[in-house]
Amino acid sequence: MNEALRAGIGLRAIHHREVIARGPAVGWFEAHSENYFARGGSPREVLVGVRRNYPLSLHGVGLSIGSTDPLDATHLAEIVRLTRELEPMLVSEHLCWGSVGGRFTNDLLPLPYTEEALSHMVSRVSQAQDALGRQMLIENVSSYLQFEHSQIDEWDFLAELARQSGCGLLLDVNNVYVSAMNHGLDALRFLNGIPHEAVREMHLAGHSIHTVGGREIRIDTHSAPVCDDVWSLYSAALERFGPVPTLIEWDSEIPALDVLVEEAHKADRALETHHARAA
Amino acid sequence: MPALRELQLAFVASMFDESDAVRAHVREEGMSAEARLGIYRNNLREGFIKALALGFPVIERLGGTDYFRQRALEYLAAHPSRSGNLHYIGAQFAPFLARKFAGTQYAYFADVAALEWAYQEAQVAADADALSPEAFANVAAEDYERLTFEFHPACHFVQSRYPIVKIWRANQPETLSDEVIDLDAGGDNVLVLRTPECVELHRLPAARFALFDALNRGEDLGTALERGEALESGFDFGAALRHLVELRILTTLRVPALST
Repeated sequence: MNEALRAGIGLRAIHHREVIARGPAVGWFEAHSENYFARGGSPREVLVGVRRNYPLSLHGVGLSIGSTDPLDATHLAEIVRLTRELEPMLVSEHLCWGSVGGRFTNDLLPLPYTEEALSHMVSRVSQAQDALGRQMLIENVSSYLQFEHSQIDEWDFLAELARQSGCGLLLDVNNVYVSAMNHGLDALRFLNGIPHEAVREMHLAGHSIHTVGGREIRIDTHSAPVCDDVWSLYSAALERFGPVPTLIEWDSEIPALDVLVEEAHKADRALETHHARAA
Repeated sequence: MPALRELQLAFVASMFDESDAVRAHVREEGMSAEARLGIYRNNLREGFIKALALGFPVIERLGGTDYFRQRALEYLAAHPSRSGNLHYIGAQFAPFLARKFAGTQYAYFADVAALEWAYQEAQVAADADALSPEAFANVAAEDYERLTFEFHPACHFVQSRYPIVKIWRANQPETLSDEVIDLDAGGDNVLVLRTPECVELHRLPAARFALFDALNRGEDLGTALERGEALESGFDFGAALRHLVELRILTTLRVPALST
């Protein structure tokens, strides 16, 4: 099996030493770009070391690509520099915004799904891809609210963004599930609305359930194992999109490296089942 | 229908300024718009506190978790993040604490925070090769006082009237201690530097600190030596310069041409 078609895991600071010392049996690593903007020092050295031994994906969480402020040229230049230096297999950002008027929430905020927002995102993604000189993937986010004036379904918005900008899609299966549950949407309908050929990567993660104002809401905390419903939805996604590079994300209350590796192996078994069936 | 920019400005105002202008644009769907926005406000606050605590673990331990959370929220209100890179959120924390606690028993928090910020900056600074001792071989004796240097980008100089290194060490996971530290036991002149292995804190005698700090700010060797001599009679600058070279923190040496 191609290495990138075995599941990967997120590269997190608390595992740096162990990853370098042990070289865990995972297909690839994904790094949050912002964590490696440093020009020197040990985190950077670790990332270069990981890149020598594994395929790498650079995943941005701070570009605020959907903001109506001018695109942050310095931030983008850092992503371009890292990309040129490390030549990752994939570079991704989110369908979101996180700042306006110079104030940053450092969060992944939902956009209204309107024609205006679509044309704004198409132009911003194109700008970023032009700077990178390559395709970027855009990931769907978990959301806890929808805007009154949204007129386009999220899956159609993603499909149009991919078609008009030429970007690929990073389908976060957990985010599809979380948003579907929070907004009473049909997760399978979401998957079926995403163009088959646009999906280049998938994310799997854990979320948590909270009660707010007497109502249950799912929050994308990346703090737990992938839940059974999301594993089922992942099978459905593999069925539709084929075996694309899949990542286990775990960013808070991060467990021992072996726990992440075991989650990745679980995803490998789903990928293998799909392969066996496709063969 | 609000324009995208108008919506985003209203949304961010509801995150930072208690404004409710964005509420009208949020679908209620079984949960109030305010409760939905509250989830994002909570994410923002918790994410900010967590990121700040990662950078300032000593301040968090000195004040305790609840105390730190309160200070972090006040700091968030005064200095919202200005970058998509969370590294920078701590840049104004030490000056913020200095203003808040000036003249109180907590005045030393600002200096400890300045040390922790220097530590964070040292961790992410660029790599650079140290100047080899041979670089001095070709310097003519009469040129010495006009020499200027560049320091390794990870070097930072932090000065405090409090024993901040002792405080810092007593609050590290590896060297945790509940020892009572006398705040008036004398201050620290700290050089923060990075070796290939880790970031190190070096306490320097006042005169040596003044010399190194002046050189780091671009003063020539003659002027910088005078700063050392002003602080210590019989200042042994030969020993100080040997120490400077041994620390391997100089990266460039320049002999400016004489102006005629």
